[in-house]
Amino acid sequence: MTEQTPGKKPSTTDQILDLLLDALAERERARQSTPSSVAAPGDQAPRPSPVEEKPVPPPRPEPPPAEQRRAAAPPVGMLRSAPLVPKPEPRPGEEGWQPPDKLPSINMGKLLGRLAILVAVLVVAINIPVKSHGVSLARILPDAASLIIRDGLVLKGSGPEFYMLQDNKLRWISSLDAFEHLGLTWKDVHVVDDEFLTQFEKGHAIHLILKCQSSPHIYALENGKKRWIKDIERFTAEGYVWDDVQFVNCGYLRGLPDGLPIPEDAGPPPQP
Amino acid sequence: MKDLAVIETILRNRYHFFAEIRDGIGLKEKMRALLVSSLIFFAIYGAVMGSTASAWQAISSAVKLPLLFLATLIICSPTLYFFNVLFGSNQSLTQNVTLMLTAITVTAVLLLSFAPIVVFFLLTTAGYQFFKLLNVVIFAVCGIIGVIFLSQGMKIVSAGGKEGAGARRWVMWLWVFVYAFVGSQMAWTLRPFIGAPSMKFELFRQLGGNFYTNIVASIGEILGFFVVR
Repeated sequence: MTEQTPGKKPSTTDQILDLLLDALAERERARQSTPSSVAAPGDQAPRPSPVEEKPVPPPRPEPPPAEQRRAAAPPVGMLRSAPLVPKPEPRPGEEGWQPPDKLPSINMGKLLGRLAILVAVLVVAINIPVKSHGVSLARILPDAASLIIRDGLVLKGSGPEFYMLQDNKLRWISSLDAFEHLGLTWKDVHVVDDEFLTQFEKGHAIHLILKCQSSPHIYALENGKKRWIKDIERFTAEGYVWDDVQFVNCGYLRGLPDGLPIPEDAGPPPQP
Repeated sequence: MKDLAVIETILRNRYHFFAEIRDGIGLKEKMRALLVSSLIFFAIYGAVMGSTASAWQAISSAVKLPLLFLATLIICSPTLYFFNVLFGSNQSLTQNVTLMLTAITVTAVLLLSFAPIVVFFLLTTAGYQFFKLLNVVIFAVCGIIGVIFLSQGMKIVSAGGKEGAGARRWVMWLWVFVYAFVGSQMAWTLRPFIGAPSMKFELFRQLGGNFYTNIVASIGEILGFFVVR
């Protein structure tokens, strides 16, 4: 038996170890009291017969009397309650669960307050208009459906008119022919709110200027009608340039209905 | 600032917070603090969302986003309470609402933490649909974490009533599903929150379609399958 400090109750582990040691000691004693079946070297033991005899197993040690076992055994309750497998901690919400110790404050309320103020200031800052058109930082970088304010941008309001933005001025594209002549397709058109259009100044309309080889007259195509341009002064005054002029078949030009001449008091338009 | 301190308790000492709700300690003060905090955070995040379209949209979204969460809470809280009572819960309605406000506040705090990221994308990316989906993902993540908080809180607060505990767990998760469904429809009703570009400001948009088809359409447009009009 292991020595125990008097007055100190042995732990369960100690008791189990004691039992184990006792059992080992008894086994050792039993082994010593039994004659060995294997002769030691140098012993005058008779030679084994050719027919091998089955080795006789050593007799099992006698179990100690019941009283002795009962005395040696630890109290039943102690063994049963021995925590051989540690009992899992109760989880939150389970019986016996206690919340963990409170963590000390790190002034998160103040931090959150500052973050909220910072984001609020940021929101105000990105909504302040920074461009002459009232565009703020939040909307200065447009997305796929938004608009980049640039020359050549084609816009359409609620009406049927198309406009091209040039030098911050809205230029009305007077005809579908002019629209096509500019190489535009429906994909280039951005439908916007009418209010958006009102922020731009109106510029000269974009017409398609037509001429045929055999005629000196120049016509502006507008709403499917040809409008005769009286002279070169008027041509330049309207903001046209020679590059705008498209050469077409005279027959085609003659076939177009006449609109009002430019200027309107220029008199009856001549035919090409 | 005092009301914001409740966030620290929720995030760092949540078990104490839930235990206090279970014991009915300072429920009114907690509810007030949670309500104030969540309103502030939702309003700020709403303003960030609306900034993509116009200043008016920012103001409108700052009002509508808190309204969205509170209206959804008001609509859905009786269902959770009465079903819990039916399955043996001993919680009061105040305890239930406080727990739900806790979940909503957690969502609001997380949304606020995402706000600088959203502002960054707002200033640097192209794509209305992308921005819309980014917000849907952020809301989903924050909402799920909020719901996890609600689940933890429910477990602790209803620890006393052992009868029907399993059924109540089911009720809670079904309620979460209903809450998400009602919330998404409410969001669709109160839209726009972001404001489509090239469309003039409107407080509420005409009803039509639903939240889910719109999200699918947005994903489709981003992937180049079709254009949302």
